[in-house]
Amino acid sequence: MRAAMLFFCSFALVCRADEPLAGKWSGKVQVPGRELTLIVDLVRDATDSPGRAQDKQNWIGSATLPGLNIKGAPVTDIAAQNGEIAFVIQAMAGPGVEPPRIKARVVDEKLNGEFLQGGNSAPIVLEKIGPAQVEQPPRNTAIAKEFEGEWRGEYELLGLQRKVTLKLQGHGADAGTAELVIVGRKVNNVPIDRIAQQNEFITMESAAFGMTYEGRLTGNDEIKGQLLQGPLEIALTLRRAK
Amino acid sequence: MKLSILAGLLAAFMATSVNAQSMFRGNPAHTGVYAGPAPREFHGVKWKFATGNRVISSPVIAGKVLYFGGDDGNVYAVDSETGRQIWKFKTRGPVPATPAVVEGTLYIGSYDGNFYALNSETGAVKWKFATGGERRFEAKGLHGMQPKNQTIADSFDIFLSSPVVVDGAVYFGSGDTNVYALDANSGALRWKFKTGDVVHASPAFVDGVVFVGSWDSYFYAIDAKTGKEKWRFHGGEDPLIHNQVGFQSSPAVVDGVVYTGCRDAQLYALDAATGKEKWKFDNQLSWVITSPAVDAGRVYFATSDSALYHVAEAATGKDLVKEDGRAYMFSSPALAGDTVFLGVLNGTLSARDAATGKVLWEFQTDASKENKGWPLTAEKRLNVPMLYFDNWREAPIVAQDRQLSVGSIFSSPLVANGTVYFGSTDGFVYALD
Repeated sequence: MRAAMLFFCSFALVCRADEPLAGKWSGKVQVPGRELTLIVDLVRDATDSPGRAQDKQNWIGSATLPGLNIKGAPVTDIAAQNGEIAFVIQAMAGPGVEPPRIKARVVDEKLNGEFLQGGNSAPIVLEKIGPAQVEQPPRNTAIAKEFEGEWRGEYELLGLQRKVTLKLQGHGADAGTAELVIVGRKVNNVPIDRIAQQNEFITMESAAFGMTYEGRLTGNDEIKGQLLQGPLEIALTLRRAK
Repeated sequence: MKLSILAGLLAAFMATSVNAQSMFRGNPAHTGVYAGPAPREFHGVKWKFATGNRVISSPVIAGKVLYFGGDDGNVYAVDSETGRQIWKFKTRGPVPATPAVVEGTLYIGSYDGNFYALNSETGAVKWKFATGGERRFEAKGLHGMQPKNQTIADSFDIFLSSPVVVDGAVYFGSGDTNVYALDANSGALRWKFKTGDVVHASPAFVDGVVFVGSWDSYFYAIDAKTGKEKWRFHGGEDPLIHNQVGFQSSPAVVDGVVYTGCRDAQLYALDAATGKEKWKFDNQLSWVITSPAVDAGRVYFATSDSALYHVAEAATGKDLVKEDGRAYMFSSPALAGDTVFLGVLNGTLSARDAATGKVLWEFQTDASKENKGWPLTAEKRLNVPMLYFDNWREAPIVAQDRQLSVGSIFSSPLVANGTVYFGSTDGFVYALD
């Protein structure tokens, strides 16, 4: 028993020694005139490839910037090697502005590096404050039969009528898929990144268009809901195409 | 003797020319065209004059004296050669309006709700007129801000109406929704014309008609003598978030055509006699706040969100020049000779070739170079994710203050005697040559 305990403890220590980058990191982005708090959670994803050696598992992460209204933003493009890490925080993107990128290395148990955003660069110093608690984006869900098929609707915005066509396809127990086309002055094929159905409610999101549709299936072959885009909230009822 | 008469006539002509430029956009028609020469190359800052707050107002010049208002509540007279203060007059509110100086009198409105006539030599009050009070455009859930049932004032309603003075009358708009005509000598009310919302655009005057738009979504032509409506033109509406509505741009009227920008993202060309739309230039949801400059069959204007500088064909609206301006532009282009000067909200002033639109030179304020808190990207574009990331409580207003911390140039440049004058939100008025 003692031997087993000893083995377990030494394994844990080895793991920690091998993964100095894993954990919850907190510190400051030293933007001149506006210091920002940054919290980053980084960990190997054991669920992604079960059975794979830990050091071969992919990194996952999430980031929080309380001063910028960002909570649990996905951390992507993670490249970690020999105590150095680079990653992208999928937030703070805008017209002509890429999401921020971080390059850092572990020095004296601190993550020291650089925060690059909009072509500007600021030093960061993060300290490990505990184990990682990565926030994962919600996964897509399956779609019930009654949602499947083609739906049509229309709405008016700034004096211009828009026609909407939504095609929902179920794949059994796997996640459903959606095709959304909005025709105004031009034809917009709106890529749907996320689809979630629970009971009579359905939600679809398009990151590219910054658009969300939240609807509720009624008994009249209608999905009544709202199209949300930026500050706009537009009522949109979709009816099953005959 | 003949020579002295000639010299006298020349002096009189020059005085008239100078006076004609002593109001917003250079003249009552608001053409935005200034007598040359203009600096095609940047030589340096001739002087800069410190006020106590932002300078949104555009300077005007009469003789050798520069006049402008300040958000510190003062109206200033400054020596245009040296930047030395001659006098200042304190009102009880910010003065983001441009004065008109005619025959020794300076006319200007203040956020204190008064419209002032001052002695242009001394700053002494000749008369003042109380409007119904100033206010900014406001709406429930404006621009999608939360809570959506709360009335929110528009922090981008940044200018006050600037007066036009013609034939003994002074005309201006007000936050009390009226367009006023006052006797220029006494300040007595001649008439007032009620619109449906705030009038912070500046009226133009041509052939006995006052032209001005209101935030009620209508553009008006008003008989200058009677104050009666001649026609009205309906711009776009935005009942959802009130973002794409209202005339904040001031019109230019040239050769029987009214050119005006609108928050509905259009630049309109309207028949001055009838109000009938001749053409419109669609700017894809981007406001046109700048007042167009018009000369030789070309219309010069710029946009806000899309940050584009355009030159359009006056007859058709065809896009002749489209250039990246990098950040929102509210300042109105000033055309002097073959050069166009334009302020940008990233704290730069650009000089562009009038024909091609290419940047000849650029001046950047120190605050813009410092870029504290990163309101700008390295390319001097607005760093929107660092600014407008929250629409709750006063966050958008704080964001705008951060944006303006780079020395944004809302002020429309004045070009006189080879020097470019303008104000900045860094609190300075600059003279560049």
